[in-house]
Amino acid sequence: MTVLLECEITAHQDIAPGHKRLALRAEPIATVAVPGQFCMLEAHEGLYPFLRRPMSIERIYKDGISILYKVLGLGTRLLAHLPVGAVINVQGPLGNGFPLPQGFNRHILVAGGIGVAPFPGLAEAILQKLGRTPEVVLAARNDRMLLLVKEFSRMGCPVHIATDDGSAGMQGFASDALESLTPDSSTLVYCCGPTAMMRAVHGVCARHDVRCYASLEAEMACGDGVCMGCVVETNSEDEARRMVRVCREGPVFDTRDINWNGGVRP
Amino acid sequence: MNPVNLAVNLGGLSMKNPVTVASGTFGYGDEYNHYFDISRLGAVTVKSLTLRPRAGNAPPRIMETPAGMLNAIGLQNIGLESYLREKVPFLREKNCVIIANIYGYTPDEYGELARRLEEENGADAIEANLSCPNVHDARHARGGALVAQSPEKVLEYTRAIKAATTLPVFIKLSPNVADIVEPALAAQQGGADAISLINTLLGMDIDPETRTPRLGNIVGGLSGPAIRPVAVKMVWDACRALEIPVLGMGGISSAEDALQFLLAGARAVAVGCMSFRRPDTALKVVEGLEAYCMRHGIVDINDLVGAMRL
Repeated sequence: MTVLLECEITAHQDIAPGHKRLALRAEPIATVAVPGQFCMLEAHEGLYPFLRRPMSIERIYKDGISILYKVLGLGTRLLAHLPVGAVINVQGPLGNGFPLPQGFNRHILVAGGIGVAPFPGLAEAILQKLGRTPEVVLAARNDRMLLLVKEFSRMGCPVHIATDDGSAGMQGFASDALESLTPDSSTLVYCCGPTAMMRAVHGVCARHDVRCYASLEAEMACGDGVCMGCVVETNSEDEARRMVRVCREGPVFDTRDINWNGGVRP
Repeated sequence: MNPVNLAVNLGGLSMKNPVTVASGTFGYGDEYNHYFDISRLGAVTVKSLTLRPRAGNAPPRIMETPAGMLNAIGLQNIGLESYLREKVPFLREKNCVIIANIYGYTPDEYGELARRLEEENGADAIEANLSCPNVHDARHARGGALVAQSPEKVLEYTRAIKAATTLPVFIKLSPNVADIVEPALAAQQGGADAISLINTLLGMDIDPETRTPRLGNIVGGLSGPAIRPVAVKMVWDACRALEIPVLGMGGISSAEDALQFLLAGARAVAVGCMSFRRPDTALKVVEGLEAYCMRHGIVDINDLVGAMRL
């Protein structure tokens, strides 16, 4: 059940330049949340910024959750200044988690930049619920912007790194790194990151007959299925099913269902 | 025993309190019932219904602005049949008063929607959206003119809807006019039972880095606290000229905001996109209005309607 909850900040630290981890005391959310779901955070009480900020859940603990975010605009700047002990209003959990289908013998999580945000919880679930160790592709502009390399290594996940400038790992994009891992039809790929990156990852997966789930992001007013603002276009020709809500039908989609050419924000 | 009477009559629609929600900001009610009991509202106004389902505009559709937001949804909705089948039973079981917002492409379509909604018990009042800014592709010319911008068309459409139903008919007008009184009087002349004011103000937003519009449809409708003073003024203008009541809306985020609309002359109010930020805003407005009345010794909320002191 989704709730509106006043949550105390229990930890709040930098994880890379301009990137932070926020931990919240939020037992009513933690007890029902699953990896891949998100929350709507109210960064302050004022009316500008007006809307909440949708943020995926990084990890789910017994009495709380953690969230990774990039300081990008007004909302995240206000959030970034909040000290431990401050209280913010959180709405969640929202959306659908990552599917964990049986029958795949290889799992690859492909993250571009802050798109890694929902993956620690997913990696944990794959380890615990499926008894398999996922591989992780981490892509970033450069070595300083790489996120969570140590965390995934500590979980025992093989980590493959790609940077735009080659300052760490291979020089190239997330999709290049995925291609070099030669996924096949027994591989399940999860991806999250910028649209161009997810489109390219979907392309690699489509060429190699690999099933791929993507966690999408969209401008969103309500997070709860009401505003119809966060839609993406599917390949369905049925007028009633052509536009689907990232918040309600997503945020996780099978990438084959999405129109990657014009149906998602640039 | 409630010491304060909050009940109002909005053009023939009995509401136990003067608070509803603006169409498109509350879905069909069921989406928000887990935050509070939605039957506590004076009425639930549902998302605009069209005869057939609509997919709406290309994304992005939402853009945050100072103390508000732009939207260019384009009336994505499940269509009349799905509404009657999937949404009405829940609202009836909850004993909600239903204001069904409708959108058609011709007067006949509005009439058919109103008639079917009455026949199938899908509404207690009809709110005709003559003012959606987002159903035209802004790339072509200046976009289509809104029905609500032409008093002659408002008269024609209102008459067609009134002829099709015995339910109270509210006409939702656009603030994108030089003088709100003209279309409001046209609606009244056409037999409207109330006027809903205001729909969104037309606006746009451009990303200087990419030099592209931030909305997929280029232009959109501005709503939120930023537009509230405009809305209060338009409600005041309309109420001074009209004999029929006004449902006031535009940027209401609290009971204090709602009171401004009542004092300007609105008989009832609708909470709009603030529900996106805080889904329980409309309930807080109900509670806040009652608290205000008790604090000020007001026994009947109707006594506040148009009671601005000059």
